[in-house]
Amino acid sequence: MSPLSGRLELNRRAALKGLAAAMAASMARCSQPTEEIIPYVNMPEGMVAGEPMRFATTLSLAGYGRGFLGISVDGRPIKMEGNPGHPFSLGATDIFAESEVLTLYDPDRSSVIRRKGAIATWDDFAAEWNRVAQTNDGRGLALVTGRTTSPTTLARIDALRTRFPALRWYRYEPVNDDASRAGGRIVFGRVVTALPRWSDADVVLVLDGDPLGHGPDELRIARGYSSRRNGKNRRQRIHVAEPVWTLTGATADFRIALKPGHVREVARLIANGLGAQLGEPRLPDYAHAFAQRVSQELQSAKRRALVLTGEGQPAEMHALCHWINSQLAAPVDYFPPQDPFENDHAYELKSLADDLHARRIKALIVVDSNPVYDAPDMLRIADGIADVPFSAHIGLYRDETAGCCKWTLPLSHALETWGDARALDGTASIVQPLIQRLYPTRTRDEYLAELANEPVTDAYDLTRNSWRKGAPAGGDFEKQWRAALHDGVIAKTAAQPTTASSSRIATLPYAAPQHELVLQLSPDTSVWDGRFANNAWLQECAKPFTRQVWGNAIQIAPADAAKLGIADEETVDVTVGGETVSAPAVIMPGQADGVVAAGWGQGRLSAGRIGTGVGARTCGLGTHPFARSLAGAVVRKSARNVPFRSLQAHTRLNGRTEDLFQIATAGELAPRHGKAAPPPNMLGIPNRGEYAWAMVVDTDACIGCNACVVACQAENNVPVVGPEEVTQGRDMHWLRVDSYARPHGYSLRRGFEPVPCMHCELAPCEPVCPVEASVHDHEGLNVQVYNRCIGTRFCEANCPYKVRRFNWFDYSGAQAYANEGPSLKAQHNPDVSARGRGVMEKCNYCLQRISRARKTAEKQEREIAEGEIVTACQAACPTRAIHFGDLNRANSDVSQLRATPQHYVLLADLNTRPRTTYLKRVYNSDETA
Amino acid sequence: MSAAEGAQERWIGPEIHSLEDINARVSAPILAPSHTWRWWVALAVSGSLTIVMIVTVTWLFAHGIGIFGNNTTIVWGFPIANYVWWLGIGHAGTLISALLLLTRQKWRASLNRFAEAMTLFAVTLAGLMPIFHLGRPYYVYWIVPYPNVQGVWPQWRSALVWDFWAVGTYITFSILFWYAGLIPDLAMLRERARSRTARRLYGAFALGWRGSARHWEIHDRFYRYMAALAVPLVVSVHSIVSLDFAASLEPGWSDTIYPPYFVVGALYSGFAMVVVIAAVLRWACPFKPFVTVRHFEMIAKVLLMASIIMGVSYATEWFWSWYSGNRSERHLVVFLFTGPYAPLYYCQLLFNVVVPQALWSGRVRRSIPAVVIIAIIINVGMWLERILIVWATLSRDYLPSSWRIFLPTVWDWLLLFGSLGAFMFMFMIFVRLIPALPAHELRRRWLEENAA
Repeated sequence: MSPLSGRLELNRRAALKGLAAAMAASMARCSQPTEEIIPYVNMPEGMVAGEPMRFATTLSLAGYGRGFLGISVDGRPIKMEGNPGHPFSLGATDIFAESEVLTLYDPDRSSVIRRKGAIATWDDFAAEWNRVAQTNDGRGLALVTGRTTSPTTLARIDALRTRFPALRWYRYEPVNDDASRAGGRIVFGRVVTALPRWSDADVVLVLDGDPLGHGPDELRIARGYSSRRNGKNRRQRIHVAEPVWTLTGATADFRIALKPGHVREVARLIANGLGAQLGEPRLPDYAHAFAQRVSQELQSAKRRALVLTGEGQPAEMHALCHWINSQLAAPVDYFPPQDPFENDHAYELKSLADDLHARRIKALIVVDSNPVYDAPDMLRIADGIADVPFSAHIGLYRDETAGCCKWTLPLSHALETWGDARALDGTASIVQPLIQRLYPTRTRDEYLAELANEPVTDAYDLTRNSWRKGAPAGGDFEKQWRAALHDGVIAKTAAQPTTASSSRIATLPYAAPQHELVLQLSPDTSVWDGRFANNAWLQECAKPFTRQVWGNAIQIAPADAAKLGIADEETVDVTVGGETVSAPAVIMPGQADGVVAAGWGQGRLSAGRIGTGVGARTCGLGTHPFARSLAGAVVRKSARNVPFRSLQAHTRLNGRTEDLFQIATAGELAPRHGKAAPPPNMLGIPNRGEYAWAMVVDTDACIGCNACVVACQAENNVPVVGPEEVTQGRDMHWLRVDSYARPHGYSLRRGFEPVPCMHCELAPCEPVCPVEASVHDHEGLNVQVYNRCIGTRFCEANCPYKVRRFNWFDYSGAQAYANEGPSLKAQHNPDVSARGRGVMEKCNYCLQRISRARKTAEKQEREIAEGEIVTACQAACPTRAIHFGDLNRANSDVSQLRATPQHYVLLADLNTRPRTTYLKRVYNSDETA
Repeated sequence: MSAAEGAQERWIGPEIHSLEDINARVSAPILAPSHTWRWWVALAVSGSLTIVMIVTVTWLFAHGIGIFGNNTTIVWGFPIANYVWWLGIGHAGTLISALLLLTRQKWRASLNRFAEAMTLFAVTLAGLMPIFHLGRPYYVYWIVPYPNVQGVWPQWRSALVWDFWAVGTYITFSILFWYAGLIPDLAMLRERARSRTARRLYGAFALGWRGSARHWEIHDRFYRYMAALAVPLVVSVHSIVSLDFAASLEPGWSDTIYPPYFVVGALYSGFAMVVVIAAVLRWACPFKPFVTVRHFEMIAKVLLMASIIMGVSYATEWFWSWYSGNRSERHLVVFLFTGPYAPLYYCQLLFNVVVPQALWSGRVRRSIPAVVIIAIIINVGMWLERILIVWATLSRDYLPSSWRIFLPTVWDWLLLFGSLGAFMFMFMIFVRLIPALPAHELRRRWLEENAA
């Protein structure tokens, strides 16, 4: 009934009807919320909606702070990057730092105060605590923490001790430096933190240590390592003698597999060469020749030679290496320890167990530690805690220890709160929050301040106050504070290195001949000491050599496996002192005979939905906490069947890899004359646009640390698929790190080759797509149009590099590992679309970063500058092995690297003309002994 | 044709005494089924398998392609192998019909109708398989060039687009060819059907066929022209399907032998399937006089020839991968003989090349059970060949770091067996609605044979 065409008939009945309908409609509508929403009328300064901002903050690993930059978009931290200003990041990250954003949003985090599992309030807790606190002066009160370097936290503990003078503070860190501390005491009479200046050494000998492996010093050492690999400085020779493969071993010019006892004999031979009288080294012949050669090399490189060992070796060995280094005037800086605690870590955990069983502890407060998981089963920590009348666990997760404690107090994540930490050399930095606390949690400092009944209990004030106190008088504190927050480092807080030389030399006892198997333990390469076990990115981050995910394995030497009749990937039982764990066996060529190896940190009983029950708990074995070496291990076939889940089924590819992972000897790298002409092509090459993006990956610098893989996952919203899908042979990593091994003399050479999309100029994936979902863009990128993809998967079938990844299920949405809680969605990078089910995806050189740079450049009417675009993998890389830039520019980094004799193309004979190319792994010499 | 020749070339059994005998027997399954329990058993079995297929596909659409055993490296799996296999089976019908017509092979008349029906059903199932295989099957129409506002077209260089046209053309043509041959028989049923509805329906589809001399003349000419068109088409379809593999960069796929190799393989499996169906029809319908032992013997000879060509093709593949000097190509052959798929590969060679050699013996050729068993073995062997083409290359291509093995899931098998059930189900419906043998051609054959 149009008012224009027809006559409007409105009688009384119709009017009433209309009125009634309108009233009913008005009642049925949604009620208006009473909250006010406030638009950004006054934008916070510098903030542009949707634009990422970087804030400096600090993340701790094993108690040592490392400075990073958190990328925040619209108030959500989504990615961690390195802080170039921090000496223990130097602009790079590791897998643990990269994955912290996922932990922040982990829906399994402890989020409320609980009393015996039931939700309670702070007032409930405070009331009970006050009762406990009133009745004593600290006798029977126990505080358990990890290694603490934070000045603010140390001040809180002091305050707590002031209130409770008899408080017993137990400090232990599962991945600790007990042996090295003891070694320092023997040689120097005190505990020292020895930080090698890796880049200053011409010859490095590593004896059963892993300085390039994960740890608080990894990023600094890795940068030192790569600075001697980039062709500008003279190359460094690295020798390694070790029982089990480590990342450091893989970098060696020559690596020899020796039992831990034999490794000590190498040190004995070298010390004797420097004038020590330690008796005749007892080495097998081949090792003797190696040791002799290395000894001569070290002596002729005085002041520029370095000998390092690791926690797997006893204090005497550390003492001897300290002595050798001081004889060689090795480039090592000695710092006073940042951990003020005197006692050794293992001793502390044992005392805790003893005191618990002797019922000397009446009230127990565990701060961000997990002794129930960490301690050997023999110590029966859980039983001990159950007998304590008052126990409270302060932690990020409701872990094993929380399960035994009466009270569970949720801890704030480092990205939510204020705090501080010191690095290994004493450099202090502030922990700066990037987001409001997601749950009603408190920080460690806040809890301790509450317990100590301090007047100030707010993390921000506590942190500021502790630095205001130490600020030089007359200075502008506010200015310094802002500078510290901006830079991520508090100026002039690094300690001065002390000279530490000593002529004292420890005797090195001969190892008793070992006829039984020795179980060597080390921190898990994905989940560290177990604290990262609930992080799905890390669980799905492949272990460097075995490429195993979602679990751990028993690594066994081929000779031992043959003797025991154990096949690869078969489940075995390892028994040490009556305790048994079951895990799949992996046969590792290049591992010393008589040694079996496994990682700590898996087999969590209460980690959360991701980490619980993954892998075998090896830290429960033995009697001594944190023992790295357990003698008398018995390995036999298991009745159980634990699947071995791996992202690379074939780790040993003898004889087929010469052109896939290319190696060269330094002398062979003669400069190339002219440009090698690419093979002809009938169809012609697509024209290059304004820019021609390309990547060069330096396999010589790559140490296989996986930081790039996790960085890519965080940046590009790469979903996790979970153990079931991995067993089915599926994974989603856009960037994988292939592991190669090649026999060399009686030894083995190992290396890593990160493989992102090759962005072929003649891409085989493009002509086979029936719907043009795989196309080239104007800057030479091979891009995938998700919306157009119908999922024929012909592109991946035809990809010689197999770098494309298919969403077999709705991995980013409804699939189990993506759907654990809405909070995880907050981590997603808003610049990268989430891919739906049935769609192919792959690396796109961080297209979002390229287009951001292009927009900026276009606004300023200039070209994109060299180095302006940094891909996520490139930014993460601690050795700067990944180079990215414009091929159209003759003087760009990638153009120059492509012209070097070290350059090679993966599967060049297929004539796909990849934009991603490689630099060869270079060895100093070809000696096989 | 002389009477003596006709006696030698007797393809219709002596049980037939008149043309009406032929009509009665051919229309019996439709009008007067004498062994309906057999039909009902077959329908129940195939019907339940069809339901299995429907459930599988429903589950597939609900949960995604991940229910199959495909992985990051071996992105293709059962649906692709099923596709190639079914399409291969779909070749024999039209080829028997057209090529044997053109070469004036007299034994054709007993087989061509149901062989063509087999083609239709097999190609239908084959055409569905790539859709089930898609990550987003609901967008399958994007490979069709339809006008759209974005101006987006299919990507013509992709073999999958060629596939669409090849299969689409083939099934359209096959329907027309089949229907053209069917018209006189529909007219026969129009006359014989008891119910008014049936008479009307058959009448409508018979397009007013009256059997006049002019009708026969036009029909004959039209049918022969169609046949002449059909033969190159049959050859082209599987050639183009083979380009799905051959037009790639992968070791073991990128071979020029693929088109002929696929065409022969298709005929091979198609003829083998014709044997099975002929035996079933002979068992279930009164077709013994039409589908004689001699027919089986003829097909057995074709199978024997094809098996030798298959053997030569396999040997050619081995030779070229060695002769190419290409490491990946050579490794692939070694992998086939020694890798985890080796038992399947040995089965493939045994089933496709060795077992059919038994057909050299006339006694075996003349034993229907023996020929049927060999035919079934060949079909299994051909399916193994298809799945190994997919698996082996993708399991072992250029970068060893990505090598994986395919682990089939229960859904893979359910789809395969479900599709077999659906094929049988469609056949069961077919024999009750449409004459499974061409009565008009058999009448002509009988007249020629009994002219004396």
